[in-house]
Amino acid sequence: MCLQNFSSQVIERHNKPEVEVGSSKELLLTPIIISRNEKERVLIESSINSIRVSIAVKQADEIEKILCHKFMRFMMLRAENFIILRRTPMQDYDISFLITNFHTEMMLKHKLVDFVIHFMEDIDKEISEMKLAVNARARICAEEFLKTF
Amino acid sequence: MSKNTLSAQFRRVDVDALDENNFNDADADSSTPVGPDISAATRNKAEALKTVLQNPPLANSKDVKDQVFTAVLKVLTSHRSSDIEKSIQGLSQQEIDTLVKYIYRGFAEAKDSSCATLLAWHEKATAAGGLGSIVRVLTSLKTV
Repeated sequence: MCLQNFSSQVIERHNKPEVEVGSSKELLLTPIIISRNEKERVLIESSINSIRVSIAVKQADEIEKILCHKFMRFMMLRAENFIILRRTPMQDYDISFLITNFHTEMMLKHKLVDFVIHFMEDIDKEISEMKLAVNARARICAEEFLKTF
Repeated sequence: MSKNTLSAQFRRVDVDALDENNFNDADADSSTPVGPDISAATRNKAEALKTVLQNPPLANSKDVKDQVFTAVLKVLTSHRSSDIEKSIQGLSQQEIDTLVKYIYRGFAEAKDSSCATLLAWHEKATAAGGLGSIVRVLTSLKTV
């Protein structure tokens, strides 16, 4: 993660993440996709002053899809507090992080990398746990409801 | 407006297309016109890998690239996992770089069957090529 401060080449006194504006080709690196299978994949786009990491999470069935959507929405609505979280995910992906040079100056680089990796490791577990919880709750509800008959 | 030539043909020349801002890297280099000789099928898998990685079609049309890519993928998936390391040892640094490029292309066009093998290949290839080969994939403008 070698990011440096880089002012916009197009507009004076602007400083934008180049990976978002994509104003000039020589500032961008080739985007890379790493996939575990068709559904689970990570897209890494890097540029001179910013990196965008987009993650597509495994969604086997409807419940997982809904849970994932709600969970990501919950976090992205609070993107302000999350700092590196992007407010909308890239197309075809569930969640995106945008790390700029200001973030790497403000925070420890290796901790940022650790966080992203940790997030990827935990998100699957988190969602399957939530799915189990939802199912258990549904079962209890049904039992209580059917007791009356 | 004075007119000292009768021809108005020059007005139809698209000057913007010749502007240096429109310079396209992909069109520019035509160093190697042909890809590897796919037809030279070999029984030996390590040999086959070396053959497909030689002289990658960097400046060719998409069709040629696709053709070579499917050939490389076929070679990669036909390897047994125990043979991977041995095959990689026979490659030069440049061939490893090309291999890593193809591995990333394989990830980008993921199919369920190929991902696990590609991950295994990626592990072995980066062990041999180091971080340098990944960075060269990132920075290279010549895609495979």
